Amino acid sequence: MRHRMAVAVLALCGLLVSTYLLLYKLGVIGSMVCGAANECERVQASRYSEFLGLPVAAYGVGGYVVLLALALYGLRASQISRPAATRWLAGLSALGVAFSLYLLSLELFVIHAICRWCSVSGVLILAICAVSIGGLVAASRAPAP
Amino acid sequence: MAEAGRSLKPFYLLLGAIAVVGAVLIAVFGGGPAAPELSASVDCRNLPAGTPAKGVALGPDSAKVQIDEYSDFECPWCARFAILTEPDIRQRLIPTGRVRWRYMNFPLDGHLNSPAAHLVAACALEQGKFWQMHDALYMGQSDWATEKNPMRLFFQYANRIGLNADSLRECVKTKRPWAGIQAEKCEGLRLGVGGTPTFFVNGRKLPDNEMPAFDDFTHMVDSITAAMSAHPAAAKKR
Repeated sequence: MRHRMAVAVLALCGLLVSTYLLLYKLGVIGSMVCGAANECERVQASRYSEFLGLPVAAYGVGGYVVLLALALYGLRASQISRPAATRWLAGLSALGVAFSLYLLSLELFVIHAICRWCSVSGVLILAICAVSIGGLVAASRAPAP
Repeated sequence: MAEAGRSLKPFYLLLGAIAVVGAVLIAVFGGGPAAPELSASVDCRNLPAGTPAKGVALGPDSAKVQIDEYSDFECPWCARFAILTEPDIRQRLIPTGRVRWRYMNFPLDGHLNSPAAHLVAACALEQGKFWQMHDALYMGQSDWATEKNPMRLFFQYANRIGLNADSLRECVKTKRPWAGIQAEKCEGLRLGVGGTPTFFVNGRKLPDNEMPAFDDFTHMVDSITAAMSAHPAAAKKR
């Protein structure tokens, strides 16, 4: 139960970060707090800030909403003892980690700028993945009811 | 299940608190970019050579009547004209093909947010949406004119009219169209513009402090086109 609570908190933080990035990308927010070098703006202005015609941040918002909903669903009394929600959390967050690594490699080797907020999102999705896997391992070690 | 719900109440409160704090932080730090450092006062002798004072035109080049409007986005009378009279001109006069209407940037000294507004509108022109930004700026003038940094509102307008935010940021940052705006102001100063809005009809300045209504412009256009039809030679001389 605790790992799903932790995932919900992390996913909510990720949702806020992605929303911030998406609002910036859409122009609702004019500038980003991102240090003096403004590397976030360079990354966001690059053509890699969109994927399949949508802002990358939109995928983040969608992904974190799904993870948050899954974690909250897993906290329902009927789901607490079932591992399905945690399995989904681990699987989806692993996809998120892979996507974050792809984006990080673009920042490092193609754009040559690091977007701090994107990195925060990367750390959050990595933490969600680790906590979910930890939850799965703990569940597998727990004595059968 | 009720017991589980009760035990999770503090957790849901925590989630709610995080959401509220996050939303507040986004609202606080999600402002506009820094306002570009620009001044409306212009040194016309030191303009980059060859910068044209093009203005933004509506209507065909071949129109018999050319009306130039020297205007300032922060000037209340210009806003009044833009909101009350100009829509009729755009919808009823320009489509006749007899008029070419040209907006000329004339940011007035002392209007602190005016240079940024003119720059944003010129940047919108690069994306083919000058008139949409023109309308948004005049409609929202009372909101942004007193702002310390009006860029937050300008970006909201840009978002509303569908401008590409990345291109707009780049344009504002580089101040690319600024020389053209200054050239238009210099052209106005050369022609004796002292306040806004000031209108020129086929090069002839309308009296200062006179803000014609739609019917006045219609009569002017009617009389000029009638005179040109009656005396084509005089029309050629113009």
